[in-house]
Amino acid sequence: MLNGTGLALLGAAIASLAGIGSALGVGIAGQAAAGVLAEDPKKFGKTLILQALPGTQGIYGLLLAFLIFQKVGLIGGSGLLDVPASAGFYIMLSGIPIGLVGIWSGMAQGKAAASGLMLMGKRPDQMIKGVIYAAMVETYAIFALLISILMLINVNLG
Amino acid sequence: MAIIRMEKLSLIGMQQEKDSIISQLMELGVVEVTDLIRSKADKHSDTEEEPVFDAELEKQEEFFRTLKSDGDEEQINKLDTEINKTAIALEAIEKYGVDKEPLFPSKIIVTETDIKRYIDGNKEVRDDIRHVLWLNDKLHKNRDKINKLTTDLASIIPWMKYDLPLNLTDTEKTSIELGVVPSTVDLENLKKKLSENHPLVDMREVTRDREFIYIFVLAIKDKLEDYLDELKKYGFSPLPFKGFEGTATVNKERIERQIDKHKNEIRAIEKNIKDMLGKLDQIKIYYDCLVMRRDKELLKRKIKKTDKTFAIKGWVPSKLKPKVDKLLESFICIHNYEEPNENDTVPVLVDNSSLVAPFEVITEMYSLPDYKGIDPTRFFAFLYAMFFGIMLSDAGYGLVITIACLVIKLRFELEGMMKKVIGTFFYCGISTVFWGAMFGGWFGDFFQVAAKVLLNKEITIKPIWFNPIEDPTKLLIWSLGFGVVHLFLGLALRAYMLIKRGQVWDAICDVVSWYLVIGGAILYGAGGNISPLLVKPGMYMAIAGVIILLLTGGRQKKGFGKVIGGLGQVYNVTSYVADILSYARLLALGLATGVIATVVNTMGSMAGNGIISFIVLILVGIIGHTFNIAINLLGAFVHSSRLQYIEFFGKFYEDGGEAFEPFRQNTKYIKIKKRN
Repeated sequence: MLNGTGLALLGAAIASLAGIGSALGVGIAGQAAAGVLAEDPKKFGKTLILQALPGTQGIYGLLLAFLIFQKVGLIGGSGLLDVPASAGFYIMLSGIPIGLVGIWSGMAQGKAAASGLMLMGKRPDQMIKGVIYAAMVETYAIFALLISILMLINVNLG
Repeated sequence: MAIIRMEKLSLIGMQQEKDSIISQLMELGVVEVTDLIRSKADKHSDTEEEPVFDAELEKQEEFFRTLKSDGDEEQINKLDTEINKTAIALEAIEKYGVDKEPLFPSKIIVTETDIKRYIDGNKEVRDDIRHVLWLNDKLHKNRDKINKLTTDLASIIPWMKYDLPLNLTDTEKTSIELGVVPSTVDLENLKKKLSENHPLVDMREVTRDREFIYIFVLAIKDKLEDYLDELKKYGFSPLPFKGFEGTATVNKERIERQIDKHKNEIRAIEKNIKDMLGKLDQIKIYYDCLVMRRDKELLKRKIKKTDKTFAIKGWVPSKLKPKVDKLLESFICIHNYEEPNENDTVPVLVDNSSLVAPFEVITEMYSLPDYKGIDPTRFFAFLYAMFFGIMLSDAGYGLVITIACLVIKLRFELEGMMKKVIGTFFYCGISTVFWGAMFGGWFGDFFQVAAKVLLNKEITIKPIWFNPIEDPTKLLIWSLGFGVVHLFLGLALRAYMLIKRGQVWDAICDVVSWYLVIGGAILYGAGGNISPLLVKPGMYMAIAGVIILLLTGGRQKKGFGKVIGGLGQVYNVTSYVADILSYARLLALGLATGVIATVVNTMGSMAGNGIISFIVLILVGIIGHTFNIAINLLGAFVHSSRLQYIEFFGKFYEDGGEAFEPFRQNTKYIKIKKRN
């Protein structure tokens, strides 16, 4: 059972854990958004932007999972490849950075976005600054994704 | 000069011409009127240096203090009340009459004669406003009534099973009391216990919910009080139903009927308000006229007057002086201009060529430059668009954005901030098309997939440069390279500012040293790929840079601090490394767009081949790519801004300027057509 292909798919599973962070983050931001909306229902569109921000970690996890699928031939290509155990192990490792960082950065970004929403509730003209505060957190998810991608792409299946 | 030079205008005119001068200044809209006497806060502004005591100015101010201020508070209050009323009326009409606010509202164009008519007090509009306010008031009263009735309804719902009239408290021989005990009470036991001492009292449960048990107590007249006192120890509280007649069922029907009646009334009123929709434009014009009148009154507060004359002070952009001169020609008045001095907080107005101007919005979002600093807009505009393009990196998406912005530009008459935002996105869209073509992304690999699904043919679209998914390391290096260029540009601006102020030595210590360290390190590390001859000089450059930093880092400190300061400066290498690495996001976000686009296309093509599958592909594509554009557009915008704010501005930017806010026709809804 524990062959290279299995390990590689385990890596994809680990990467998609980033979605936990996004789910929590979007949830936290959503609660704040609802509070802001209660005051002024016209802000729905704007609150949605801030609520969506912590969603990116999940997308990055998904993205890496798809890259792994492509690498091992689960989608596109000519069927599942027989991945050597060592290569499979490396691929699994590549899922860890975005998977783990995604969880916490998603949560933290959710909190920052929630504060941004409060800011917007009081001073709608300052909304973009709230967006930028929240986006500062995302930097680290981006770096994790980058490390994951670089690890994955440089694995040789041969 | 990107920051416009300002001059101080002083004006003394005749009282009888005051109103017409103010009106014309408002129309011209190039003068920011300031208080004649500086406030305390202004004198001790946030500059650290002690303000120079300006004897002349103090004398002037002393004189102005003896004069009366103009401005009619009562008139201002009256206008403010009128403005508030009009705003409420507008809000009411828009709430019930307009289904959807337009994304880019366009202004109503009116002529000056129209304005005159409205300023002279248009009775019809005022009647309309009064009518709307009356309707709105009625609406609120009805809502309040419904609220009260709903509370009543909730309070009688538990008593539906109780079939005596709610207001019945006495019969000939007995008394009745209704009330609740907490649901935690064990009612059966309680009843048994109490009935031992009070044989002539009966208590029964009517119903219960999560919190309460609803009970009624029936007792021989004089026995009730004692029993209730006993019961209160167990948390009993009475619920009197004053003003209710008949049983709960009757009351419920009555209340529901009343609620329906009020709801119908509300619907009728809402329709009445909606009927006023035709008057909306007139009320808007009236609103803006009021605001302009109020602004003129507010301005007068800043004016000092004597019996025959008045004085104004303010800021005028130097190059607009002729316009002011021309305006004042026809009046009996004297005016002069002065250069700002050290103590003045000069308002900031930036001016850029139309190509770069949209990007001002990025600067404004951060903070305006200081009057003595530089406006960074034209320096980062190109790189902003470029970074945006690399991060979005799909020619198809770029086309969508460019075309959308173009359509908006042509369809709507945009103003202010919105105009700049759309302009910025327009250029960013073009840049995205360019970088997308360089990297070979046209809606990901949509056309390749579509050809396979529809025609079963393999086609390839070659990237002009290279495909980052195949060689991410190459793009990573380029991204960091672009970052170094960006940072060096920031450092160059710092050097420019230092040299302009005569601090050449500081420029060498703080800027040239870093050029040597970073440039040298790059040559040492990567120059070998070009020519081995570059490695050695690179090393020497870096070492020279570090030595300068070590020796001069603590130049403003004393004694031992000199050594620590130097080390501290060298330690800053880490922050430069962090800054450069930060540009790796160009690659990461670029890949994210590309991969998600590919995933969308792959999912769309899972239906197989043929014409139906092609339709599936198109549908999946529209939804998926829309989502991808939305998410990554936000990402590219935010992160491109971040690279400016944190990495670029951090190197040189002096912000904190106050925006130039000329006295002008500050209208929300209307645009006034000039006479000629």
